[in-house]
Amino acid sequence: MPLIRVPKPPKSAYDPGRPASSLLKSQAEHLREAESKLPLRYRSKVYVKSIKTEEEAARYIRDVTQAIHEAHEDAERARRTPKRKQVLEIAAAADERSKPKRARRKPASKRPKSRKSKRKKK
Amino acid sequence: MPSGLDKLQHIVVLMMENRSFDHMLGSLKAVNPAIDGVDANTFTNPDAKGNVVKPQPKAEFQAQLQPDPDHHFPAVDLQIFGGGTGANRQANMQGFVKSYFNQQRDAKHSQTIMYYFPQDKLPVLTTLALEFAVFNRWFASIPGPTICNRAFAHYGTSFGRVDLNPIYPPEAIKSIYTRLIHANPKRTAKVYYYDTTSSTMEVANLLQNQPELFGTYSQFLSDCEKGDLPDYSFIEPNYSDHQGDSGEEIANDQHPDHNVQAGEVFIASIYQAIKNNPELWESTALLITYDEHGGIFDHVPPPGCTKDIFTADGNATGTGTPFQFDRLGVRVPTVLVSPWIPKGTVVDRVFDHASIPATITRFFLGDYSPRSPRETSADIFLEPKGAASDPARNLLSLDVMRTDCPDFDA
Repeated sequence: MPLIRVPKPPKSAYDPGRPASSLLKSQAEHLREAESKLPLRYRSKVYVKSIKTEEEAARYIRDVTQAIHEAHEDAERARRTPKRKQVLEIAAAADERSKPKRARRKPASKRPKSRKSKRKKK
Repeated sequence: MPSGLDKLQHIVVLMMENRSFDHMLGSLKAVNPAIDGVDANTFTNPDAKGNVVKPQPKAEFQAQLQPDPDHHFPAVDLQIFGGGTGANRQANMQGFVKSYFNQQRDAKHSQTIMYYFPQDKLPVLTTLALEFAVFNRWFASIPGPTICNRAFAHYGTSFGRVDLNPIYPPEAIKSIYTRLIHANPKRTAKVYYYDTTSSTMEVANLLQNQPELFGTYSQFLSDCEKGDLPDYSFIEPNYSDHQGDSGEEIANDQHPDHNVQAGEVFIASIYQAIKNNPELWESTALLITYDEHGGIFDHVPPPGCTKDIFTADGNATGTGTPFQFDRLGVRVPTVLVSPWIPKGTVVDRVFDHASIPATITRFFLGDYSPRSPRETSADIFLEPKGAASDPARNLLSLDVMRTDCPDFDA
């Protein structure tokens, strides 16, 4: 079968200033809902109702989509990091507690004789 | 078991926006009479003054359907029932011109809603429809707009919604993606949106809770090339004209008034990405469908269907009458692509978007519950492998893979 040619749209088809359709506006609303559940530092300062054009809708949708991904990646990182830190902290604390004991404990030959043994010798 | 079905490992669904069957594929009746397309001698619509308006092959790629034809629930109700009321009214598909007239009160312009594309204007979609399997009876799930219809493709229900408002799925009914990734053995699934600027249209709740399920169109192309495609992929087009990383990105969803040619290029690129990897080509089925008709004419009355467990009340429908999700929406163009499908296959069974999770679930997971009544009663477009397969319903029926499939220069 011969290669089928697929005509490309003309350059003039691109119009980011086109008024945003009710569908795009509703997509922005859906993402606003999702955004409202993110921690404050990830939220944009865009008032969704003020979106008029496709470009404005697209910019907001991009920012929220990226923020959602970032928030999840950060949460995932944080979820892993404290665990590791906690394990290390516990290990370090255990080490700290055991070290002095070991340090205080001298080889048997160098240990001072206990009162009990001294008493026995007497 | 036929070897085509035996080889099937990946299912890809591409859902475009807002075009009816007759508008996009209606011209094909002249090429293959088995395709239930446009017959201007038998189907017309009255205009606001009662004049007869015939379908005409005058559809343009852009700048014709302005304003965006109304496809909210009350408007679609008018389009399907022609303004009829009462319990015994019949779906007659006589209200498309009336509905479009209501938006601008312009009798001449309202006739453009009856325009369809001649075959040569849509070389990609019409070629795929003629070369592989085209569905004569694939309907939108609801006589309403985008979001609730797309929800059916992901959940098998819209949870009672007939509008564009956010959807809050109850815990009990899982998305098809969640079902797959939590299965044992684990399956893989991904929603590929076009880019972060276009993002996902219908499942912001999934993006919010499971962003790892999402990828981009460029990742889809790369996954095809590397042979890393998941078991199930759902692809979303670009919903807006915007500045992307590599320059100007033209919306390719085909939603009026976005350029239809851009959508043709997009469809061709998805097809070629699969076809260019020989291993993927022989093990993948690609379903191309549209979420709903976008207010544009179609001549086939949508049938009744099994009720859902949800009801939209009279306020939600905007008609004053509750809707029990017991009727399908208007017919949409749908094509199934695989080199194991005989050329010129025409499918007459009834499907809707609930057939998507129904098919994916059955194919990859077998029995699964809970699912909505709409999904469990929806027909499947791919038979399961093994003993449960019905050879009479299997569309991937060839024993030898075709080598005459088309290529596009997209």
